[in-house]
Amino acid sequence: MNKNNISDLMRRFSVPLMFVLICAVCAPVSGLSPSYLANEIVTRMGRNAFLILSLLIPIMAGMGLNFSMTLGAMAGEIGLILVCDWQIVGIPGMILAMIISVPISALLGLFCGKVLNMAKGREMITSYIISFFINGIYQLVVLYMMGPIIPIKHTSIKLPRGYGIRNTVSLLSMRQKLDNLIPLTIAGIKIPVATFIVVFFLCLVIVWFRKTKLGQDMRAVGQDMEVARDAGIDVERTRIISMVLSTVFAGIGMIIYLQNMGNIATYSSHSQIGMFCIAALLVGGASVDKASIGNVFLGIILFHTMFIVAPKAGTVITGDSMIGEYFRVFVSYAVITVALIMYETNKRRDKSKAGKQLALEQEAANE
Amino acid sequence: MSEKTQENSLKGRIQGFVKTFGLPRLIITGFLILLLIVAPFVGADLPTQISNIINRFSWNGILVLAMVPMVHSGCGLNFGLPLGIISGLLGATMSIEFGFTGSMSFFMAALLATPFALVFGSVYGWLLNKIKGGEMMIATYVGFSSVSLMCMMWLLLPYHSPNMVWGMAGKGLRTTISLEGYYTQALANILQINIGNLSIPTGAILFFAILAFAMWAFLHTKTGTAMTAVGSNPDFARSAGINVDRIRLISVVMSTWLAAIGILVYEQGFGFIQLYMAPFYMALPAVSAILIGGATVNKATITNVIVGTILFQGIVTMTPTVMNNMIHLDMSEVIRIIVSNGMILYALTRKTEGTK
Amino acid sequence: MNKTDKKIWIYRGLALIVVIGIAAAMFVIGRGHTIYFDNKSAEVGGTTIDAPYSIEVYVKGEKAAKLKSGERGMADTMGQTFDMQLVVTKEKGGTSSRVNVSLPIPYNMDGVILNLPVLLAGKGPEDYLTEFIPTPSAEEEADEEVVTDETGDLMDFGDE
Repeated sequence: MNKNNISDLMRRFSVPLMFVLICAVCAPVSGLSPSYLANEIVTRMGRNAFLILSLLIPIMAGMGLNFSMTLGAMAGEIGLILVCDWQIVGIPGMILAMIISVPISALLGLFCGKVLNMAKGREMITSYIISFFINGIYQLVVLYMMGPIIPIKHTSIKLPRGYGIRNTVSLLSMRQKLDNLIPLTIAGIKIPVATFIVVFFLCLVIVWFRKTKLGQDMRAVGQDMEVARDAGIDVERTRIISMVLSTVFAGIGMIIYLQNMGNIATYSSHSQIGMFCIAALLVGGASVDKASIGNVFLGIILFHTMFIVAPKAGTVITGDSMIGEYFRVFVSYAVITVALIMYETNKRRDKSKAGKQLALEQEAANE
Repeated sequence: MSEKTQENSLKGRIQGFVKTFGLPRLIITGFLILLLIVAPFVGADLPTQISNIINRFSWNGILVLAMVPMVHSGCGLNFGLPLGIISGLLGATMSIEFGFTGSMSFFMAALLATPFALVFGSVYGWLLNKIKGGEMMIATYVGFSSVSLMCMMWLLLPYHSPNMVWGMAGKGLRTTISLEGYYTQALANILQINIGNLSIPTGAILFFAILAFAMWAFLHTKTGTAMTAVGSNPDFARSAGINVDRIRLISVVMSTWLAAIGILVYEQGFGFIQLYMAPFYMALPAVSAILIGGATVNKATITNVIVGTILFQGIVTMTPTVMNNMIHLDMSEVIRIIVSNGMILYALTRKTEGTK
Repeated sequence: MNKTDKKIWIYRGLALIVVIGIAAAMFVIGRGHTIYFDNKSAEVGGTTIDAPYSIEVYVKGEKAAKLKSGERGMADTMGQTFDMQLVVTKEKGGTSSRVNVSLPIPYNMDGVILNLPVLLAGKGPEDYLTEFIPTPSAEEEADEEVVTDETGDLMDFGDE
């Protein structure tokens, strides 16, 4: 039993350990100063934490990694584009963008939840395709409907042809307004206190949510849908709620993310966000069916350290700057692949174990 | 009275037809027919359009055909198509590197790609046997990982042919490599038919026909029927004494090899080799094409491949010209994204009997 | 509909009203304007108002601009009223006087030009306030190719 536990622990922490090793090798080679690294990581922590936290709820409900969190990101972007056109600036602008994004995210989350209920057992691939599908709808809205149908006034964000949004929308009026709301610098490291407070608040909400009736239901559904149904839980509804919550949080997270970046890449900001949030969460030691708040923060530190140092280290080692770039992309995808494989093999092993158990019991009963 | 029953049965028949054919498929077919009817009126030349569709069909047909074996063996849609494509790209670049030119380079590319496809396919198949039930998601990420790994390899592998590497550095492959002087149109030029604006790449279509026929014949051999059995009911197949894992492995290797050949045929039509991130999303059009053709997650026929490729490529080639001529608004890209991914979504949400 | 259901719906309605209220408040307090200050001579109602030698503009305690006669400065602001402190020096080397100014900004104008000498002369907003209408730069006029390529930004992971 004890031995089993140790091997279990090893398996759980193999990915974070691997990343610690990669970072330990690459960081000195890259020649980046520790203070620069610390600054970057703190910034990225503020930027990404909210987005990654939004992934936790569907995992709790047993729906796996929510690749369709990009839906929320798109809703957030639509909110920001509109707010930008209305010239609402600073923190009020962000709050208004969030208020606009919430109903859009909720609707998209509802759609996503309904579709995923029709595709039980292959939620992840379906949510992945949903993100592509909705991206098409998003382009339809932003590229063709903004202008003639949804009024857009300012030429700085509208394409010269009269409809559609430019490739980049500047968020200069909101740039790092939340991060710098409560300025604090410790040992040369700029700390976005207000952003961390928001993130901390979401953590509290998640911790609290786990203890509510709905949260308990969600965990029951995540453990075993049939058992939960027998216990009188409305499985479909619970799953839809988890998707709606995740999408809404992702939308708010995207607004926080973009206020830090300072501009929106209209047609690409959201496309990769799901991928690297998921990769970061997995690097933090989460798996497809189990993730905690601790995983989120550990994941951000390790994954983003790798992200910052890999291109530099790659340039130093091979003399080609692209190698490091490709390396980190490869590592992100490889991490997700390995996590998915581990999840599926574990699931199969548990299933066969349960099958053997059942056979043994039957045998015993027969005797 | 009799009239009424007849009407009823007609209605029933139409409903049955809609049900078997699938509503989205019907809409897409209707849309394409509408495009074909409208095209001449808005000033698009119909023969040019049709030869465009035929050409595109000849480029993409084999990539779509590559879906068939894995669907048959119950491995689901092969989202890991990029892995096979990479084998093809390795064959293509090596053929050029070794100095083959003209049509010979196509033959050699196919030959050189084969061992890679077999090895990659075997490893991939072995992996998919370990994770039965979760094939599609893992296939997607195997594809992504392999493409991003190869991005590094294209830079690091010792290629030297001046037609392929960056001129300045003298190493590292370019993102696109022209096939002029190599195998561009190698198949299409065989027995090509030109009537006015209509041109038919007979050779490429024949090549597709041969492979499609071979696939059809294979599915009727002992191994082929075993494959279908494994796909429709693995437990039954196992009790009938079929080695399920072996059959699945064969199907994955076949799919990977077809993808390798498929990308070579695509390149001979397109005229360029595209490296680095280009293969990344190539699985999606192929997947949606076969689904548009009437396949489901666990059932696919050669007819599905042919019909699907024509419909998909028809829409992809027709919409931009027709829409541009009609309303000077090119929404084709958006339509393509919505149609193809919507189709995949539709298929994924259908209840399927047997395997997942 | 039973009692608890009714209660829940009332709470939901109230929550919705609160959210809409917050949104409305954001529209008012968050409206951004760009303020341009002109230190230029102007003619109002037949009388000429001369520009002083220099005006320093302070917004929220920070120096936004120092304007010699005939110059223009700018500052971004948020909300419906604009507060600033002006330090006016009439002549070179002369003593300077401080003036606190608070004025409402019309909601529908993105950019506003304030003529400071007219403002200081105590005239009404119709005289000192004009809308700033930006002329689109060549860069903005130029046609822009929209890039929606799916594979184009696979390498973009949020670096600056």
